[in-house]
Amino acid sequence: MAARSGKSSTPRLAAGALALLAASGIAAANPQRIVSINVCADALVLELASRAAIASVTFMATDPYFSPRVEEARGIPVNHGQAEEVIAFQADLVVAGQYSGQNAKGLLRALGYPVFELELPVAIPQVREQIRRLAAALGESARGEALIARLDARLSAAQDPGGSPRPLAVIYQPNGFTLGRGSLADELLTWAGIDNLAAQAGIRFWGRLPLEQLLLAEPDLLIFEQSPGKAPALAQQLLAHPALQRLRARVISREIPNSHWTCPGPWLADAAESLAEARRLWSVEHAVQRRRSADR
Amino acid sequence: MPSSAAAPPTVDGSRPGPVRPLAALLLSLAVLVAVLFIASLLAGRAFLPLLQRLLGHFGGDGETLRLILLEIRLPRALLAVLIGATLGLAGAVLQGLLRNPLAEPSLIGTSATAALGAVLSFYSGLAGVFPYALPLGGMAGAIVGVVLVIVLAGSNGGASALILAGIAINTLAAALTSLVLNLAPNPHAALELVFWLLGSLADCSFEHVRVAAPFILLGWLLLLGGGRALDALSLGEDTARSLGFRLESLRLRIILGIGLSVGASVAVAGSIGFVGLIVPHVLRPWVQQRPSLLLSVSALGGAALTLAADIIARLLVPGPELKLGVVTALIGAPFFLHLLIRLRSSLS
Repeated sequence: MAARSGKSSTPRLAAGALALLAASGIAAANPQRIVSINVCADALVLELASRAAIASVTFMATDPYFSPRVEEARGIPVNHGQAEEVIAFQADLVVAGQYSGQNAKGLLRALGYPVFELELPVAIPQVREQIRRLAAALGESARGEALIARLDARLSAAQDPGGSPRPLAVIYQPNGFTLGRGSLADELLTWAGIDNLAAQAGIRFWGRLPLEQLLLAEPDLLIFEQSPGKAPALAQQLLAHPALQRLRARVISREIPNSHWTCPGPWLADAAESLAEARRLWSVEHAVQRRRSADR
Repeated sequence: MPSSAAAPPTVDGSRPGPVRPLAALLLSLAVLVAVLFIASLLAGRAFLPLLQRLLGHFGGDGETLRLILLEIRLPRALLAVLIGATLGLAGAVLQGLLRNPLAEPSLIGTSATAALGAVLSFYSGLAGVFPYALPLGGMAGAIVGVVLVIVLAGSNGGASALILAGIAINTLAAALTSLVLNLAPNPHAALELVFWLLGSLADCSFEHVRVAAPFILLGWLLLLGGGRALDALSLGEDTARSLGFRLESLRLRIILGIGLSVGASVAVAGSIGFVGLIVPHVLRPWVQQRPSLLLSVSALGGAALTLAADIIARLLVPGPELKLGVVTALIGAPFFLHLLIRLRSSLS
């Protein structure tokens, strides 16, 4: 709106009124009925938003196999990711994943619902960015910054200073899947001062690693997902293979839930700390072994 | 090609029979199985490094080498022999019992019902509590499958009745199997349908051998003992009865034998098709069409074919290894078509 010379108080008044309107608009725009239709989004929304503002999370939010924030999710009404459920919850903000629920997202956007897409991070800066973005959309930027600050502090403490020999680790998941070069897990391993067997084997992002190849590479550190529940599947049989169990008895192994490095959030620091602790343990054992063989 | 079918008795009155050519055939097949067994121990993505270590040094860490050979490759090769022999034997027996050249465990639906039984016992968690529940589930399924096909197609049914019964049983069993997998609590289960329908020996261990071998061997005992009765049966049911063979007990023996051996095989490796079809057909001319002789020969032939297919599955494509059933289907499906075309006249 072009300011007119002459009556100078009117434009100032108008500008002031606009500013007031805008400010109240922002305050009113803080979503009060947030519906999350993605399990990664569930956990981050639970971290950032106040509980009263969350209308629904997915049914997987209370499953420790998928979600890093199980306790906080209890008691919140669940949805199965379907558009009609979102409508029934009268959402004023829908938080979805980047790659899932394409039909639901499209439908909801067409109906005029605000849909926020949370990205799957492949690098640590991306994790920070996702936290920042979601916090802004929820109107909780201050909380977002505090979260990022705490995350950065823990990550720095877990970072490897470098200069010492690095152990070789492999992430082994059901069906022999592993995370290779370009994935967030790979960056975290490098951060903690650990080499990634999958990256050395040329796997980008994720892929399958045959058990024989794993054994031949003689890794120093085995990283599994957390133990599954009682429900059986052939996919887990590979992880129970006697050859792998024999190796497990000889080398350091750790369990890191898959959600810790696929969903953006502060739990990334949990994974980093776990890796750093395993690396320190290996360094000690490695030094002892070297001294023993030097003595011989 | 052995030609002693019409050999006259020798001077001392003994019949020469097809003994010497049979012994030669068995021996050459056994040698083939042994060679393929050793090749299977050496084959795999890790082939070159393994060979280098074998030829190179035995010092250093032989532990890894031993681990791979003994805990991964050896049980896999053993299972290929056990399961392959079972499939070859089962194919020969079924073709003799049903007097139908198209009978074999996967075409008539026995492998599919065995898979359903195994899936029910595995994904319900029963097999986690009691390991033998897995082969028992497979065996129960296999027995149901054989009984069903005999009831539906009858022993006198033509080839078309058998194929139709097989299609019906296969379709129903596959549908129920995918239903169970989708209802299973573990999220990975739904994706494992491919394993159960196509079969694979990847990442097997001695656990699998321990759990399946006793039942497989028991099944073999039952099936191999039915040879003479099958010879008589090939002359016709009435002739066989008049010769003193009881067909009801033969049928029962075969149902149990196939149920035990095929059921346990499918429970650990999924449903592997076409081995039981190809092997008896290829080897039948070498035993002058005698069902009893065909049994042991088909067992060895089945073991050889399965070992070869398993090696191919590991080496054919540069990516992850193929499912075993894919390789046997690539060989078997064209063979099956060829058989169908040849039998077209008797089908119409």
